[in-house]
Parts: sequence; C-alpha cells; structure tokens
Amino acid sequence: MAVKLTKEEKTGVTTSFLSFKLAEEHFAIEVKKIMEILEVPRITKVPQTPDFLKGVVNLRGGVLPVIDTRTKFGMPQVDFTVNTCILVLSIDINDETITVGALVDSVSEVFEMEEKHIQPSPTIGARYRSEFIKGMINEKDQFMMLLDIDKVFSAADIETILETHNEIEEAVAE
Amino acid sequence: MKLTYIEEANELLANLEISLLALENNSSDKTCIEEIFRVMHTLKGNSSMFGLPVITDFVHDLETIYDKVRSGEMELNKELIDCSFLCLDHIKVIIYDADLENVVNKENHFELLKKIGGFIEEAGSISVNEKKESQAVRTVYVLFEPSAKIFDNGTNPLFLVSELASMGNSKVVPHFKLSENQAHDECFTYWEIFIETDRSENEIRDVFVFVEDNAEIFIKELPFKNVLKNKHFNDLVSKNMYGDVGTNMEELVHLLSDQQNNEPVADAKKEVVIETDVSEAGAIHSNKKVSKEVKEKGATSIRVSSDKLDELMNLVSELVTTQAGLTLFTAKNKTPELETISENVEKLTRRLRDTAFGMTLVPINNMFGRFQRMVRDISSSLGKEVEFVTEGGETELDKTIIETLTDPLMHILRNSLDHGIEKAADRVTKGKSPGGKLILKSFYSGVFVYIQIIDDGKGINVETIRDKAISKGIIKSTDNLSDKEILDLIFYAGFSTAEKITDVSGRGVGMDVVKRNIADLRGNILVESEVNVGTTLTIKLPLTLSIIDGLLVTVDKVNYIIPLSVITKCYSVKNEDMANNFNRLLTLDGEQVPYINLREEFGYTVQGSGETLLIAVNNGDRVVGITVDMIIGEYQAVIKPLGRHHKKQDFVSGASILGDGTIALVLDTNKVIDLYTNNIKREEKTWQLN
Amino acid sequence: MNRTILVIDDSESIREVITVGLQSSGYNVIKGINGADGLEQLRQSQGIDLVITDLNMPVMDGISFVKEVRKDANYRFLPIIVLTTESQETKKQEAREAGATAWIIKPFSKEKLVNVIKKIVR
Repeated sequence: MAVKLTKEEKTGVTTSFLSFKLAEEHFAIEVKKIMEILEVPRITKVPQTPDFLKGVVNLRGGVLPVIDTRTKFGMPQVDFTVNTCILVLSIDINDETITVGALVDSVSEVFEMEEKHIQPSPTIGARYRSEFIKGMINEKDQFMMLLDIDKVFSAADIETILETHNEIEEAVAE
Repeated sequence: MKLTYIEEANELLANLEISLLALENNSSDKTCIEEIFRVMHTLKGNSSMFGLPVITDFVHDLETIYDKVRSGEMELNKELIDCSFLCLDHIKVIIYDADLENVVNKENHFELLKKIGGFIEEAGSISVNEKKESQAVRTVYVLFEPSAKIFDNGTNPLFLVSELASMGNSKVVPHFKLSENQAHDECFTYWEIFIETDRSENEIRDVFVFVEDNAEIFIKELPFKNVLKNKHFNDLVSKNMYGDVGTNMEELVHLLSDQQNNEPVADAKKEVVIETDVSEAGAIHSNKKVSKEVKEKGATSIRVSSDKLDELMNLVSELVTTQAGLTLFTAKNKTPELETISENVEKLTRRLRDTAFGMTLVPINNMFGRFQRMVRDISSSLGKEVEFVTEGGETELDKTIIETLTDPLMHILRNSLDHGIEKAADRVTKGKSPGGKLILKSFYSGVFVYIQIIDDGKGINVETIRDKAISKGIIKSTDNLSDKEILDLIFYAGFSTAEKITDVSGRGVGMDVVKRNIADLRGNILVESEVNVGTTLTIKLPLTLSIIDGLLVTVDKVNYIIPLSVITKCYSVKNEDMANNFNRLLTLDGEQVPYINLREEFGYTVQGSGETLLIAVNNGDRVVGITVDMIIGEYQAVIKPLGRHHKKQDFVSGASILGDGTIALVLDTNKVIDLYTNNIKREEKTWQLN
Repeated sequence: MNRTILVIDDSESIREVITVGLQSSGYNVIKGINGADGLEQLRQSQGIDLVITDLNMPVMDGISFVKEVRKDANYRFLPIIVLTTESQETKKQEAREAGATAWIIKPFSKEKLVNVIKKIVR
C-alpha cells in the first residue's frame, strides 16, 4: 500500500517533527500540529466514558479533553512519571479544528526531515491500522511511526478504535 | 465592502418588514410610515454610496410613494402594502444580484417598477394638493455665543452667522466681550440675530449642528411682525451693538407689545402668551440645558460586533475564575489588607460580570418580528384567517439562545397554523369565531424565560395520539399512560400526527428535533391541549447559557456542580438505609422520594456505612434525590463546553474552572435521571430475559 | 478661487464617489487612502482648505489623524469633516473631542455634503 501523503507533502520541503515514546515504541508527529506541551495537571475524569478518554483539564481557562494514548494504542496503563506530559494537538475533523491533549510517556526531540525521506508503512505485520499511520521515519537509526493525528485522536472514531483493538489482536495472532 | 452593504441592507430590510407588518395592522400609524420612509431613504443612500444604481433607483421610486403617503398625497391601501411586500422580497434578492444578471430577477424587477410607476401616476392624477405647507413668516431671535476656543477645531463662526442671516431678512447684532488678557486666537464675539423667516426652528438649529458643544445657542420666536423695520426696535438693539451687554429682552418685548397694542392685532389671549414668553426669554440658560438633556437621551445605543462581545465574555469568565483563585488564596493567607482587596475585587467582578452578561441579552422582539411575516404568508396560503398576537417582545434572552430558537419556534408556529387552527367553516360549525387566534408570548420567571405558543384551534386528541403510537410500536396497548405522558409522545422521533403531508409542516421530522434543539439550550418544552379549545406549548429556557448559580459538591473526590435552580432541599441520610434498599425509595419529610446513588451510577465504590448527603432536585413534576459525598457550597459557575469528545456524556452539560484551576463538571440532573431510568429499564429487560 | 479639499477614505469607491461629487461642485480634490497617507498629502500639498476623512481606516484611523493634525500648529484651525455612520454616536463625540470641525452621517447625498462644506469654508 502507498504512503498516505498528498502531492504537496511529497515535494522536497523539509518538515519539523516531534518524536515521543509510548512504552518502548517511538512515534512522530508534525510539529505544526502541536500547539504546546504541558506538564500533567490534575485531570478530572468524566464518568461513563471509555478508558481512553482520560478526562478534562484546564487549559488557560478552557476545557481540554485528554486522551490516554497508551490505551488508544492498546498498551497497558502506567502511573505518571516526571517525564509524562500532554501534547496539545490541533486536529481537523470534518472541516472543524479542535484541540485535544494526548498523554505520552516522554517527549524525545524535534528534528527536520525532507518529506521524500518518509517511507511507506509496512502493510504486513503492522501492529496498527494503516489508516492511522502516515509513514515510517528513520531518524538517526531509530525507526518511528509518523501518525495521522487527525484520524487517531478524533472523537468520531471511538467505535472504530475499539474495533481496532480486536484487529490488533487478530493481527498479532496472524 | 460589499459584505458590509449586504449586512446593513438585510438589517434595514428586516426593519422594513416589521414596519410594513405593523402598518398593515394599523394603516393610520404615522410613526410606521415615517420609519418606512426613513429605512428606504437610508437603503437608497447606502445603495448609491456603494455604486448600485439599479437598487438605488428602485428604492427611490418606492421612497417616492411613501413620501406621498407621508404627506397625505396618497392613500395607503391593501394593494400598495401587498406591492410593498413584493418589492421588499425583490430587494432581498437583488442585493445579491445588483446588476440583474439573473433573467428571472430582471423580469421581476421591471414588472415591479411598472407597478410602482402605476401607483405614482395614480397619486399624481388624484392629488392637486400643494407641496409641503410652509410655516408662516415670523420673527425669530437667535443668540449665538461661541466658546472662546471655537477656532481650535477649524470652525469659522462668521460663516454660520451669514448662513443664518441668508434665511430671510435679518438684523445681526454683534457683541464683544473684551477682557484685559484677551488671547489673540480666542473668540470674543457673540451675536444676536433677529430674522424674519418661514424656516422652522429645527432648520435654524441645524445651522449650528456642529457647534452645539462649543457654543451657547438660544432660539426664540417673537410674537411680533415687521419688527426689523420698526425704528424703536432698531434703536434699542443698535444701542448695545459691539458692547458686552446683549439686548434686554424684557425691554424689547415691552416696547414691541406696546407698539402692537396700539394696533388692533393683539388681543387678551396674546397678552398672556407674551407674558410667558418674556419669562422664558429671561430664563435663557435653564431653558437651554433642559432641551439639551432631552436631546442627548435620544441616542444612547451603539452597535458592537458580536466577536468583541464574545471576547469580552471570555475575559469576564477568566476574571471570574481568577477572582475565585484570589478568594481561595486569601482564605489561606489571612491578612486584613488582602481581605479588603479581595472582597472589593469580588464585588467589582460580580458587577462587571452582571453588566457584561446583560450586554449579550437581546430583546426577543427581533425574532418575533420575523414570525409576523411568516404567519401572514402561511395563513393566507392555507386559506385560514388568523390573528397573530405577540406579547412580551421586550423579554431579553442571550443572543445565542435566540439564534438557536428561531427554527424550533418557526416549526411550532407552522404546526399550529397547519394542524391546530381550523378553517373558518369548521370553526363556525363548532361555534367559534371564524378567525383563529395564535398567541406567541414570552415572560420571565426567576432565572428562566418562558415562551408560549397558544392557539385556539382543534387541540390534540389524546386517543388519536395513543392509537397512532400503538400502531407505530412506540407504546404497547397494555401500557398505562397518563394523558400528559401521551401528549409528550408528540416529541417522539418519527411521530407525526398530520393526516397528510403538507408543504407547510413538512414530513415527520419535527417535534422531536424541536425538543432536542430546546434541550441543547438546557431548556425544556411542555404541551397542554384540550380538544376543540386549543393547544399551548410552553418552552422554558435559562436566561443565559454561560453562567449558572450552582451548588459545588464532590463525589469520590471529583467536583460537580448542580444548578441551584433545580435544587429543592438537602438532606443527610444513612448509607445503610440505602445499602439494602431495593425499591430505591427514601422517606423524606414524610414523602416517598426515589433516589439515585451517584457513586453507584458513576461507577465509583459504594460506601456501606456512615452518612451521605442527599440533594433533592426537581424532575418535571416530581422530586428525585441525588446522593453526593460532600457539599462545598454555592458557586457561580461559568460554563464551558466539554467538547465533542464527551458528546455522549450529555448528563454533564459543561465544565467550570474552579479557583484552584481544577475542573468541576456541571451536572444536568434531568439527564442524570433519564440515564438512570433507562439503565433500570435495561436491567429489567435483562432480568426478564434471564 | 476654487477651494482644495483633501479626501481620505480607505474605500476606493467611496473616495471616488466623493471626489466626483466635489469636482462637479467646483472644488479641487486631493486624495488620501488612510490617516497616515492623509498626513503626508497634507504636508506635501500647498493650500488645502478642508479635509474630509473617514473614521475606520487601516494604518491610521480618522480620530488619530485628526489628533495628529491638531498637534501641528500650522493646522490648528484647518477645518476637518469626519464621515461617520449613524450608529457611531460615541465616535462622533470622540471625533469632536479630537478636534473635528463637523461630521457627516453616511450615507449622504452630494447636496448634503456640499451644504456642510459651505458651512465651513467659503
């Protein structure tokens, strides 16, 4: 399957990415999608929500929903460490831009890379559903997955994500 | 630039519509005609400024008609009003197609122009009336005393004096107020002008419109004729010319009235008038002050963009939150000075908040006006006679609420016209008046606004609804429902009582959407009906969306806010009384009250012993208890939306940020109760399956 | 002698409408596209008898323009007419305080404009 990049993104321009860790895996997000990075404040859990919706926090007078990225990716929950932080992301869903927070274990670094160096994600043996992955990046011999955060963190995908969990298991079982 | 024009044009057209409708009801209403004329005039001006000749000319012709109506040259009739409505609709279209590129618009345009032309011609042939009746020539006294600094903004007072003098025969008497340290760039002259003119006082005052703040202006009509040629007059005023002292009005009036008394013109009546005139002239200063105050009261509103208003609201919200933080900090670090400051900040914040929120409120009238037209059109298309009455249009509501409310109300009104009010013949056989009545009214009650739609139509037949609901499988024939519960079924999705689908009320989409829209505004809707007497729909809405008075409570260390408006009382109950309570009823003040254990409902661990607080809340007609761990106190909550990620948790209507920066969840108790009831039903079903 | 009027408005169409109206009434017209440009025009051109300026403009608005002009001793008595809309009662007040000579409420006809000008310059 082809890399999910538009023509525009394929041109030679360099883009900034931020890499972060979840469990032992490395991921990358385009920096332009990140509005800021927060220390974890007190999170208020809204009752009767799925596990991956960690709750809401106060972001300068506004309400920011926080997503437990580990849960979303089918990883076990862990206690917060000093490195745990929230990436405040601006995501586009159906022509609407909304802000969500994503809990990650730790933030690694910001780096620049030409779009053409992004490799297609492997279709076979992939742990994650291909539509959430924009491609693979090899930065300083470290492989990481470039996430399509509009898809990963949209609320509309709650059900599909739950299905994803099954698919992951199926994929693993395969 | 075009956008500004369209925006303004739409606003003007909306006003025009309101006035036209008012005029239709009372064709002799002069203020309406004036308003229509004024709006048309502004619209014409705007269109010409923006270089839209087609619209300018069109509106000009319309304006001509209303100018004739205004002056009494032309009579207002139904035909003309109908034509005006057509023109109004046409202008609404062509402001987007100012060059008439659309063929239909073009045809329409020329047809209407022909029509308008017909009206004008008709009026022309009938009326041989004179043009504006001009005022009789009389002598007017004008005192114009510029302030010393009048030159500073580029005004040349001489031009004004000469403009005034050109209005008729005049005598200008300049006076100098020289002082020792007179600066060379200050004005030290003032003028008395006697003028024989047919211009109105307003026209005279208009000469000085730009210097009102920079000069003393006094205008007085003198009840004498041919004053300027009077030798005694000339002697008297010339005596003071260039001097510091103005004309002694008392002396002048005496002089002139003596003169005229010798002539047979004056009678006793006039004498009295003169007396009062003299005293008024003596009281020049006080007189002027009063008229000025009255004048300034006229224009006290300004237009503010809603973006700025929203920004203001956000800032106020943040301030309220910050202030709560200050109060909290002060409580922890008690110093007398800090406490005073904190108290003052709290008071100011509250006042600021009330003022700011007051600004987002707009009278519901704006919306009512739109409905007038719609009701008129629909009732005539259905061939029904309907008197549409609106009451309480001055009731103010948050602008967002009004925006969201328009569609639901429109739908309800349509329903009433289509299904509620009967045709004239049917009404007569029932012994009713042939014309139906539809009332839309709005009023305050506590922190809520009520909107009622009342018709005197055929009412809703409970049996018909019941049968229909059974046939649609919404209820079972064995279900024992009260009349009220059955009536509520009209809000059920997919329920439609129309025997046939009509253009007016459309398909089954309807009352369920209406109910949902109103629920989105944290309001609710109630239906009451009596067969052949009529139906009343009552919508209850909070005054504003963004702030509530709430009770701050905790459940398992999470802060929740329950709106004070729904709370009736708080109780303390033993956990053991609840632990083995299978029918979920507690006896409070001698009444059996159903309750919900929030810990259980929200999936926290349930406590088996100790005491729990129970808050009794209103839920429709009944009272339901809700348990919480702790009550912290009353709290003014600025509600923020939770966002789409938590859309499914609609029992949380929003979040509020507390003084310490953490978040409290605002509970919609009605939704909490619905949720609980649904869960119970589901459990019962499972139990039945087992 | 023909009077010279400086017309300042950011909207080209309004500028043109006014210019045409004034020229047909025998005035000379110089144009400015905002307050700052207006100041520049004022200083560069000789013998401006009157300024007509819009209030809402980018770069430098009408009020600031009036204030700037009044600061310059050469223009202390220069007549300035501001263009305002009916809803801007406070703006009118502000303009007056800043030193404007007169105001015209938009929209206006050529006649009205000329009538107001005649009150101020002859």
